Amino acid sequence: MKKIQSELPIFFETAHAELASALEMLAACKGTYSPKQAFGYFMHAKDEYNHARSFFKMLSKRGKKASIKKARDFRFTPPSLITKGYISNKGFLIDTMKFKDFIAFVYTNELLAKSSFENILILVGHGTEEGKTITKIMADELRHHGMAKKFFLNHYPALQPWQLMIYRLRETIHNKGRKLYDANIKILDRLLTPIYKSMAYLAGTMARKLNLNEFKRKGKNLMNISSNSIL
Amino acid sequence: MFIGVTGYNHESSAALVDNNGVLVNFYIEESLSRIKGDKSFPWRSIKKLLESSNIEIKDIERVAFYERPLSAFLHIVKEASFHMPRSLGLLTHQFRNFNRSSVSCYLDFAKFFRGLETKLIYSDHHLSHTLTALAYSNSKKDICSVVVDGFGDRSTASISQIVDPTEINELWECPYPVSLGLFYSTITDYLGFAINEGEYKVMGLASFGDSKSKSAKLISGLMGWDSNSNKIISDMSYFDYHLSTSNSFNSKLEELLGPARNPFVPLIPGDSDFQRCADIARGAQDLTIYLLRKIFTHAYKITRSRRFLFSGGVSMNSASIDSLAQLPFIDEIIIPPSPGDPGCAIGAAFYSYIKSNSYSDLNISKPSLFPSLKEIRNDEFLAEEIISNEFTVLEKDKEDAFLKAAELISVGEVIGTVLSNNETGPRALGNRSLICDGKNKDAVKYLNTVIKNRSPFRPTAPAMRYEIAEKYYKLRPEIYECYKSMSATCKCLKDNVSLEFPTTHVDGTARIQIVENKSSLDKLLSILETMGIEIIANSSLNVSGDPTCFDLVDGLMVCSRTKLRYLLTDLGLLKRKT
Ligand SMILES: [Fe+2]
Ligand SMILES: [Fe+2]
Ligand SMILES: [Fe+2]
Repeated sequence: MKKIQSELPIFFETAHAELASALEMLAACKGTYSPKQAFGYFMHAKDEYNHARSFFKMLSKRGKKASIKKARDFRFTPPSLITKGYISNKGFLIDTMKFKDFIAFVYTNELLAKSSFENILILVGHGTEEGKTITKIMADELRHHGMAKKFFLNHYPALQPWQLMIYRLRETIHNKGRKLYDANIKILDRLLTPIYKSMAYLAGTMARKLNLNEFKRKGKNLMNISSNSIL
Repeated sequence: MFIGVTGYNHESSAALVDNNGVLVNFYIEESLSRIKGDKSFPWRSIKKLLESSNIEIKDIERVAFYERPLSAFLHIVKEASFHMPRSLGLLTHQFRNFNRSSVSCYLDFAKFFRGLETKLIYSDHHLSHTLTALAYSNSKKDICSVVVDGFGDRSTASISQIVDPTEINELWECPYPVSLGLFYSTITDYLGFAINEGEYKVMGLASFGDSKSKSAKLISGLMGWDSNSNKIISDMSYFDYHLSTSNSFNSKLEELLGPARNPFVPLIPGDSDFQRCADIARGAQDLTIYLLRKIFTHAYKITRSRRFLFSGGVSMNSASIDSLAQLPFIDEIIIPPSPGDPGCAIGAAFYSYIKSNSYSDLNISKPSLFPSLKEIRNDEFLAEEIISNEFTVLEKDKEDAFLKAAELISVGEVIGTVLSNNETGPRALGNRSLICDGKNKDAVKYLNTVIKNRSPFRPTAPAMRYEIAEKYYKLRPEIYECYKSMSATCKCLKDNVSLEFPTTHVDGTARIQIVENKSSLDKLLSILETMGIEIIANSSLNVSGDPTCFDLVDGLMVCSRTKLRYLLTDLGLLKRKT
């Protein structure tokens, strides 16, 4: 039980990440100007959807065995793709990045994805059914990486592989930074929670005295209430 | 031009109404972002509204937000403040996320569409629902509006009398936190389904339950109607939705009904816990019908109106509409095709149209069931390479494609459709559908289980013409319009063959669709009828958990990810290669 409960977040987060990749690729497919590229992104999106499905399956296998309370915490709701930061609320990468950065991002991220799966592979064991699925997914990611690299060099032939390494390094640092930032926020959160709570308590005590009778609309013509008021 | 916008608390959306009171276009953000239940500021929808109609911000006279943001915020905070310290988590969450709540919609407009924020006005949440419903009524005067939802910006249910579109008087309300919508969502959550999405599963599950069972009876004690004060009452001690961000119910409800269900364990008829869950769902459904009948009866008492608009999330409970239609005082019930919060963008857009004084000659045209403008760029250009690699074009000519599709349906195949404009509401009515012969048991089963992976207790809807429906089902003229948007179920006629149809539910009901004249399904039926097929089984085109397909690329993706082989599109009939 304990092992299962500690594994839940891993599959939960990975499923999020894979589904987010699928949506990013689908958006790229719809946002590009070349039918040829659209096809490439379409096939990539399809792979990522399949990866997401595999991880959701692994999540649900563990969720079934977890306590109900724990299981409820790991239910997937799609909007959490945004609230957890897997997809930016400003838009998909294809909308917000320069095209060159976008394909470099895909190129580096695929490799990073592959290496993160290595840890999961150890967790589930190489020989298991799940292990085989993950090995297949890793092969997909490597293929995506190869395609993205080729595509990048086709578009920017002047760029040397070592320059791509810089992109990769930058993304790795970004990822590490993201994790560090996340960890810092969590610590900060823990420190600040008592303060937030006492502030909420104070505000709550005042809120009790709020007179919301003004909001009563009984007998009123709703069309005549000021359209500029947010109250 | 006028825009209406929803978001933050529920699925976001945007609608565009022109200077003549015509709904030009409507998008739900999830269709574009492909994130089911997307609540974020609907910048994609607004952008698309502007682009597809070729207009700029300066052409927009007003933008209406569908609710009063601060009111929504304060009502939640005030209620929670009575339950400290238990509600401290919720309060902290509210205060910390203040800048991400709908209160910030002004700033989001300024950020994404500079200039639009200065044109922003606000409507009441239930007024937005009412105006959405009113748009779909033929007559715009002397009608009563009933709104029942989870929570808006003030109340959770209301009755108002519409004199005309400029005079809408509110006569009764059910104040937060007592809420029929949130009660139903709580039971949904307790049964292990996702809130705002799993409610229709509870409705389907209820048909397996027994109203006389112990569980169903226990549920009936959770809420009631006080006929002295004409109020809905609720025993709030079982619920936590008003004091917690993560739990809708508490241990007291589990003590009453038994442990909540693990959301990861599939619920299959015959399993050990199935009957208990079905009985609980039955209890929730019975209580909902009971309370809705009380609300409508009260509405009649205070307005003397025999014609009703019904909207808000609870009006999506299609299994309760047939019972409402039998109330003796009812002549007509109109439910808009998108009665939940995303549909409010339509009402909000009409609100800004009506509020704009320069249009003394008000004219609100009844919108089509398929208002979203078609995505042309993707369909005709971008998909070219995908289609040539992955698909074979069986028929290019439109007429031939329909003919061939009908032939395939007649031999038991399942077909996906991506035709013309999108549907307004949550139900696919033929343009973004998965369809097959509605009497062919194997085909319907294949559609349900192999392609859609639907819960076994949720039947697929049958679509047909009115004359055909009359032969099989007990239709009620009071809710004729509801059948067009699949908003109401009906009973099979006594001892009728329809009881054996694969689209009929265990309790002998079906959620029928009467096909609209000149729609895609109408066209297909006219061919199918010559082949002896009069009923089409119709489900939305999507992989479970995803939003319904929006454009052709989405349709091609569903084909690629599932066992679906045929896709009927504006470019012809396609067949997946492998
Ligand atoms: Fe992947
Ligand atoms: Fe990948
Ligand atoms: Fe609502």
